[in-house]
Amino acid sequence: MPQIALPTNKSVLAALLRADFITQWRNRRSMILILLIPVIILLSWAPLVPVFGGAFVLSNSITIGLTAIGLMGYSNSIARDRDKGIFQRLRVAPLQPWSIMASRLAVQLAMILTLTATVFIAGARFAQIVLPVNGYLLGFLMAFIGGTVYLGLGQAIVGLIKNVETVNAVTRLVYFVFIMVGMFAEMGKLGESMGNIVRWSPYGTVKNLLATAMEPGNWNRQTTEELLVTVGYAVLFSGLGIRWFRWSPAR
Amino acid sequence: MDEPTLSLNPEREPGTLDRPGAVLAVRNLSISYGKFQAVANVSFEVKPGEIFGLLGPNGAGKTSTLSAIEGLLSWQEGEITVGGFNSHQFPRYARASLGVQLQSTNFQPELTVREILRLYAGIHGLNLSGEDITRLLREIKLEDAAKKRFGQLSGGQQQRVSLVIATLHDPKLVLLDEPTTGLDPQSRRQLWERMEAIRVSHRSILLTTHSMEEAEAVCDRIAIIDHGCIIATGAPEALVLLHRNDPEVIAVSRKGKITLEDVFIGLTGRTIRNE
Repeated sequence: MPQIALPTNKSVLAALLRADFITQWRNRRSMILILLIPVIILLSWAPLVPVFGGAFVLSNSITIGLTAIGLMGYSNSIARDRDKGIFQRLRVAPLQPWSIMASRLAVQLAMILTLTATVFIAGARFAQIVLPVNGYLLGFLMAFIGGTVYLGLGQAIVGLIKNVETVNAVTRLVYFVFIMVGMFAEMGKLGESMGNIVRWSPYGTVKNLLATAMEPGNWNRQTTEELLVTVGYAVLFSGLGIRWFRWSPAR
Repeated sequence: MDEPTLSLNPEREPGTLDRPGAVLAVRNLSISYGKFQAVANVSFEVKPGEIFGLLGPNGAGKTSTLSAIEGLLSWQEGEITVGGFNSHQFPRYARASLGVQLQSTNFQPELTVREILRLYAGIHGLNLSGEDITRLLREIKLEDAAKKRFGQLSGGQQQRVSLVIATLHDPKLVLLDEPTTGLDPQSRRQLWERMEAIRVSHRSILLTTHSMEEAEAVCDRIAIIDHGCIIATGAPEALVLLHRNDPEVIAVSRKGKITLEDVFIGLTGRTIRNE
């Protein structure tokens, strides 16, 4: 009589989370870089706080960090592990496949939390940007929502492109285009029509949503529309990412 | 938990084996990629305590067959049962009955050997203490490597770690996909001894290899697969006896003695295959 006990989801998730957090920690150089760039941008933009406001500067920095987490950190680690057969090795064990991705995403959510906290602390410490308590809380919430847009976009890129080097190159390119076009358009340097496109792009909606969340008194109908568009982007990219994703780079 | 425990009795429940003797039963398996048929109507069984070799040239259908058994790809026709569990109906139970050593390095290179063992113990629902891990590593003569990252180990050491992880949860069937590729003779012999130890503990092994010497040395039975079909099955020595007078086999033999490799090449042809 074959008798066999399956592992519990709790046991599986605990093991995966421990391994994934260790892996993230051992890659702390790239983690520090992901956190450092938004802080450097925050510091360099500190003199603009009187002109654009603290929420503008903070939201820009956090958006750039979120883009880096989704496009550089998450997508590249998924592409590498797929290429090395790490996912296939896990999948031959008696676990639910969703638990592999749930653990990976939990690590990224922790990264989003760390990034947002780091930018808030750096903003208060070095640029004297202090928000109301509900501004911080809503800021964290919107950072999570905005982060899912870029995690979804990263997932879609990894789903569409099988080659690890190509994923690396494409995500860097998209990251660079996002931050350069986004920042300059936000400052009105690329003209009105480009400004409008960027405003409703994944960069613009996330950035504006974050900025308003940090000053909850300014929340209006447009912010609600930006929230809906942001959620729409997250659903669209994640949906495509899940649909296109293959656990193995082979056929 | 997906399903309750299943039983193997004459009034069998769905998902149990037809023939209680087999640890693995593959029946009429067919796998296609678009119009290309990689595996066509393949059937074989692996019995308890048996080392069964699946041999074939590149692109013959070995990897597709193994991937289907591992649950990594879906197949169009046929049935696979592992440890008594139908792979379609009870995939997690089937995978829990299986230990797998894949062909390539496939553990996070940032993790140490100890951390990888902990990870896979957790995934199989095992609670390994530090002493348990040390004992396991001592058995494979890697106790000093516990804190080494997997990427820092030699090929032979990586294979030993991979094998110990494949057998961590005491599976009924262990799948070894070309485990000795790239190993030096000492490491290869050591791996053969470990395979023998697995057999002695009444577990079964399904082995793929390109080494006919290895197949002759360790396999109780082998199946030769080519163009997606099994073209011969039997004990290595029995296959040699059966085919020693085939003109194709005699034509490829060297030094006047028919070997398993001669039979293999005689049956599958001299043409070099690409993947």
